[in-house]
Amino acid sequence: MSGSKPDILWAPHHVDRFVVCDSELSLYHIESAVSSELKAGSLRLSEETTATLLSINSDTPYMKCVAWYPKYDPECLLAVGQANGRVVLTSLGQDHNSKSKELIGKEFVPKHARQCNTLAWNPLDSNWLAAGLDKHRADFSVLIWDISSKYTPESAVATEKVRLSAGDTEAGLVVTKPLYELGQNDACLSLCWLPRDQKLLLAGMHRNLAIFDLRNTSQKMFVNTKAVQGVTVDPYFHDRVASFYEGQVAIWDLRKFEKPVLTLTEQPKPLTKVAWCPTRTGLLATLTRDSNIIRLYDMQHTPTPIGDETEPTIIERSVQPCENYIASFAWHPTSQNRMVVVTPNRTMSDFTVFERISLAWSPVTSLMWACGRHLYECTEEGKASSLEKDIATKMRLRALSRYGLDTEQVWRNHLLYTEDMDQKLTGNKGSLVYAGIKSIVKSSLGTTENLRHSRSGSDRQADIIQYLSEERSLALQLCGWIKKGTDLDVEPFLNSLEQEGDWERAAAVALFNLDIRRAIQILNKGASSEKGDLNLNVVAMALSGYTDEKNSLWREMCSTLRLQLNNPYLCAMFAFLTSESGSYDGVLYENKVAVRDRVAFACKFLNDAQLNRFIEKLTNELKDAGNLEGILLTGLTKDGVDLMESYVDRTGDVQTASYCMLQGSPSDILKDERVQYWIENYRNLLDAWRFWHKRAEFDIHRSKLDPSSKPLAQVFVSCNFCGKSISYSCSAIPHQGRGFSQYGVSGSPTKSKVTSCPGCRKPLPRCALCLINMGTPVSSCPGVSKSDEKVDLSKDKKLAQFNNWFTWCHNCRHGGHAGHMLSWFRDHTECPVSACSCKCMQLDTTGNLIPAETVQP
Amino acid sequence: MFVARSIAADHRDLIHDVSFDFHGRRMATCSSDQSVKVWDKSENGDWHCTASWKTHSGSVWRVTWAHPEFGQVLASCSFDRTAVVWEEIVGESNDKLRGQSHWVKRTTLVDSRTSVTDVKFAPKHMGLMLATCSADGVVRIYEAPDVMNLSQWSLQHEISCKLSCSCISWNPSSSRAHSPMIAVGSDDNSPNILAKVQIYEYNENTRKYAKAETLMTVTDPVHDIAFAPNLGRSFHILAVATKDVRIFTLKPVRKELTTSGGLTKFEIQIVAQFDNHNSQVWRVSWNITGTVLASSGDDGCVRLWKANYMDNWKCTGILKGNGSPVSGSSQQGMFNASLGSANTSLQNSLNGSAAGRKQS
Repeated sequence: MSGSKPDILWAPHHVDRFVVCDSELSLYHIESAVSSELKAGSLRLSEETTATLLSINSDTPYMKCVAWYPKYDPECLLAVGQANGRVVLTSLGQDHNSKSKELIGKEFVPKHARQCNTLAWNPLDSNWLAAGLDKHRADFSVLIWDISSKYTPESAVATEKVRLSAGDTEAGLVVTKPLYELGQNDACLSLCWLPRDQKLLLAGMHRNLAIFDLRNTSQKMFVNTKAVQGVTVDPYFHDRVASFYEGQVAIWDLRKFEKPVLTLTEQPKPLTKVAWCPTRTGLLATLTRDSNIIRLYDMQHTPTPIGDETEPTIIERSVQPCENYIASFAWHPTSQNRMVVVTPNRTMSDFTVFERISLAWSPVTSLMWACGRHLYECTEEGKASSLEKDIATKMRLRALSRYGLDTEQVWRNHLLYTEDMDQKLTGNKGSLVYAGIKSIVKSSLGTTENLRHSRSGSDRQADIIQYLSEERSLALQLCGWIKKGTDLDVEPFLNSLEQEGDWERAAAVALFNLDIRRAIQILNKGASSEKGDLNLNVVAMALSGYTDEKNSLWREMCSTLRLQLNNPYLCAMFAFLTSESGSYDGVLYENKVAVRDRVAFACKFLNDAQLNRFIEKLTNELKDAGNLEGILLTGLTKDGVDLMESYVDRTGDVQTASYCMLQGSPSDILKDERVQYWIENYRNLLDAWRFWHKRAEFDIHRSKLDPSSKPLAQVFVSCNFCGKSISYSCSAIPHQGRGFSQYGVSGSPTKSKVTSCPGCRKPLPRCALCLINMGTPVSSCPGVSKSDEKVDLSKDKKLAQFNNWFTWCHNCRHGGHAGHMLSWFRDHTECPVSACSCKCMQLDTTGNLIPAETVQP
Repeated sequence: MFVARSIAADHRDLIHDVSFDFHGRRMATCSSDQSVKVWDKSENGDWHCTASWKTHSGSVWRVTWAHPEFGQVLASCSFDRTAVVWEEIVGESNDKLRGQSHWVKRTTLVDSRTSVTDVKFAPKHMGLMLATCSADGVVRIYEAPDVMNLSQWSLQHEISCKLSCSCISWNPSSSRAHSPMIAVGSDDNSPNILAKVQIYEYNENTRKYAKAETLMTVTDPVHDIAFAPNLGRSFHILAVATKDVRIFTLKPVRKELTTSGGLTKFEIQIVAQFDNHNSQVWRVSWNITGTVLASSGDDGCVRLWKANYMDNWKCTGILKGNGSPVSGSSQQGMFNASLGSANTSLQNSLNGSAAGRKQS
C-alpha cells in the first residue's frame, strides 16, 4: 500500500463485507438499496447497492499487503504485511471472542527488516501464514509462520537484535521463529498455496517460479521466467496458474511446468492485478495501471492433457465499470461474476460482469436470451400506438381481424385500417380492369372539351378553363369525387365529407368545383359544429373577399399569408384562387393534400399535355417512395407491382401486397415472380404463426380469384381387392399417375353411405373400433346420453360429417371412423387394434400443435 | 414496451445458444455443460424442458432446428470438433408419459479437425442441407439426399475461407431470382486488416460455391452474422456483430445486366452502424419479418434496433442481461418484480450514460 493506491478485499465468508486498505483499513458493509434515497453515512455503489462504513483500523502503519483469515471464525481477522517485513494480525471485527483476542496484535518478525511483498494463508491449515519478503543478503525470503505459536524464548530475540518495543515483548505477542524458512538468497514477489496439497507453496521469486514442498524443504521445483508477479491458482482447475510480468499474463499448467501453456496478448501498460473469478470457470480478470477498463479472458476449456496441440479458445472481453481509473478490484466470493472496484480516490463501484448473451427471436414477437446459466423471455406487451408497433405485430393482428378478406365491403376494411388506403382503392377499381388513372388519362388524349367558367361562380368573367371528357370523369369517379354515372355532381361527396367532419377538405373540393358560395357555407358549418375550429369562420371571411382583380391587395396578401396556414387544404384553396389560370403548382405540389384530390383537381383543370406530365411525374414520385396512394395512378399493372415492390422493400408488409395484388387477377400481374414471391412469403408467415385457418382462408380466397393456384388432390384411396380408387367425386380431376386406375361415376355422386368399393362391390375395411364396414354413418358415441346430445346439437351437426370420415395411421395402417378414433385417443396413446403398439397420435409433433387462432382471445 | 421474465434453465454451465423452431413452440438451448435441452411451450405460455441429454464431449456452441417438414430435427456443434444431427423419435419407451421426449443421434459429422463453431440448416426450399463452419477456416455443406434417412449425409461442398470462422448465415430468400447464398464471419483476431465477412454464392453452372462478395470495411473480429428474413424484399439485409452492430444491404444488380450464369453482382451499402454496446457485440438476431434487430454486447445489454420508413435505424429498446430495465431510459422495459431481487447484479455506470446519450 503506497498510501495513494487503495486495494480492496472481500471477506471470504461474510459476503456482505469488504475492506478497503490504503494507509488504514476500512471495513464496509454492503446492502441492497432499491430506493433512490441514501441512508445517512452510506455510499452508493451502484443503482441497487450501498455500502456503510463499519469501522476503521489505523493501528498498522506502513502496510504493504493484507490477507484475510480464510476461516469463518474469527470474523474479521487480517494479516498485514508491513514495510519493515513484520506481519501483524489485526482485526476489524466487533465480536472479540477469546480466540481472536489471543491472536490480535500478534506480530511476526523476520530476522532482517525489509519489505513484506505478499502474504498467503494456507486455506486448509489456517494457522499457517506464508509471507514473501524482499531479498536481504543470504537470508530467506519466504517465511511460514504458525500463528498459534507462543512467545519465543527471550534468548532468540536478543540474539537477533530486532528492535522490539518493550510492550510487545511483555505481552508475549511477538513471534520471531518461523515454522519454515524458504527461498534463501532470493526475493519473493508473490505467493499462493496450491490446493492440490496443503504443503505445496507456489512462489514467484526473483527470476523464477518455484514450488516448495514443505514435506521436504530441501527440494523445490522451479522454472525460470520473468512472469513472477501475482501468482494465482484457478479455483476450478487446480493445475492452472496465472502470473504476470509487465503487460503480459502467463498461464501455466503445473503438470507441464516447463513453460507457460499460453501467454495472453500483451497490454500496453504494466499489469497491477490478475484474479480468477471464483464463481465461474476459466474467467480471468486483469487490470493495468492507469486504466478504467478491466480486461477479461474467458477460457472456455481447461487445458487438455499433454499431447493435445490445439490451443484453447480464449475470448477476450473488456468491461468499463466506471469513468475513472481503477486502483484495484475484487471478485465477490459467491455472487456470480460480481466485483467491486475502487478508484484511487476511494470511490467504489459494485457491478456484475454479464456473460455473453446469446439471443433468438421467436416467430411470434418474443425475444429469448441466455445470460450465463439463465434464460430470459421478453415479450412485447402493453398497448403501443400503432406507429410504434412493428410490422410483424401489425400483420398478426390484422390477419386475426380478417384483413383483406372482406373485399365485398371495401369500406369496412378501410375503416378498420385507416392507415392503409389500398384496399379501398383496389376495391373501387374493381370494375375497371385494374387500370390506373395513368393509363385512363393517356387514352383520353384528344377527346377533351373545354369549358370556361368564372371562379366566383358569377358569369361576369370567364377565366378558368375546365376540361371534360369521359375518361376524365372516370378518373374523377376513381378519386371519389363523383359517383358512378354521367352526372358531374359532387354534392353527395361533399355531404359525406361534411358528415365525417372533414370541413377543410369539403370546402376545398367545393371550391375546386367552382362553388365558392358552397365552400363558404361549409366552412361556416364547420366553425359552428361541435369541436369546430372557429378559425374556419375567419377563413370563410377571407374567402368571401375574393376578387378577380389581378393586382388587388387581397390577392397579394392571400398569396403570401396562405403559406402560414397549417391545413394543407386551406392552403391549397388560396393557392387556387390566387394562381394564374393554367398554372396550379401551389395545389398540385402541395404534398399533404391527398393524392386523390390532387389528381382529381388535375383532371379538371390541366390540359392534356400538362395532365399527362403531371400524372407521369407524380407516379414516379410515388413509386420511388412506395406510397400506396399511388396505386390509384398505376392501378394493378406492372407499374403497380413496381410501386408495391418499393413499398415492401420499405415496410416488409407482404400481407397488404399479397391481398392487393390478388385483386389484380386474372390479369398477368399475378404471374409476376415478385407477386408470387410475396404471396409465398405471406403464406409462410401465417404458417409460422400457426394461423393455419387464416392461411386456408387466404388460399380459398386466392383460388377464387386465381383458379390456377388450386392444389391437386393429395390422397387417393384404392380398394384392397380391385385396386381401383374408391372415391366417387374426385374423378373429375385427372390425377397424376400414381398407379391408381380411375373409377368415374360422373354425374352420380352417391352419398358415401355405401360400404363397398364402387368398382368391385367388395366391402370396405372395418373400423377398428365399431367393427362396421367403413362408409356407414357413425352412430353417436356410446357414452353420450341423449340429453347431452341435445345440448351439443349444433356442435354435433358440424362434426357429424367429419365423424364419418375414414382415418388411418400411416405408420401401422390401422384406422376407422374419425369420430371413433378421436374419442379413443383422448384416453389412449396406443392403437386400438390388438397387439399393435403403434403410438399413432404422437407420431407427428406438428400435428399436435393447436392453431394459434383458436387460443387467441 | 418489452417486459422480460426469467426462466429456470437449469444448465450447469454457460448457455451458448438459444434457438426456436419454425413455429416458435419449441426451443433448444446448448451449454458448456455439454448438453442440449429442448423446451416446449405450454398453452399458457410457460416453457417446460422436455428433453435434456449429453450431446458432445466439449462445450456445445450452437444448436439449430430443421424445418418441421423434415421432422423434429436438431443439429448441434461443439468444441469437440463434431457436428451432430439429432431426431426426436416416438418410441417404445414411455418417455412421453413423463413429459419427456427421446432424441437419438442420427449422424456425427467428423470432417472438421478443429472446433466446429456454427451449424445452420439451409432454407427449406433447398432441401435438407446443413452448413457448418470451423475454427480451421472451412465451411462445409452437407446434404441428406433422402429426407427419410437422416443417418446419411454427404459432404457436398467444402469452402476454404482462409480465416478462422466463427459464424455462418444462410440467405433465407426462396425467390428464384436469388441463388443460394451463405455469409461467413471470422473472429480471427491476429493483427491484420483482412476483411472478416465473406459471402459465397452457389453457381448453377459450375455447381460450386464461389466468393461473391467480401465486406472490406469489416476488419475486426466478427462474432455473429445474420441475414434478415427476406419477406419479399428485392434486396438482402445482413447484420454483423463485430466491435459494433452493423447493418448492410445487398441489392442484386439485375441479372440481365450481368453476364448470364456468372455470379450476382451486389450493390452493398452500410445502412447502420452502432457502437452503443461500447465494446464487442456478441450476437445479432432478426425478428420474423426482418424489421427488428436484437443485439447483445459486452455492456451486458440487449438492444433492439428498428428502421423507420426512411430507412433510418434507431434504438427502440434496451434491456439489461438480467431482464431489468436500464435506468434513464423511460421507454424501455418495465422492471418486473418477479425477476429475483437476489440478483443484485448491476450494470456499470457507463450503460446509463450510453442510454442517456441515446435519449438526448
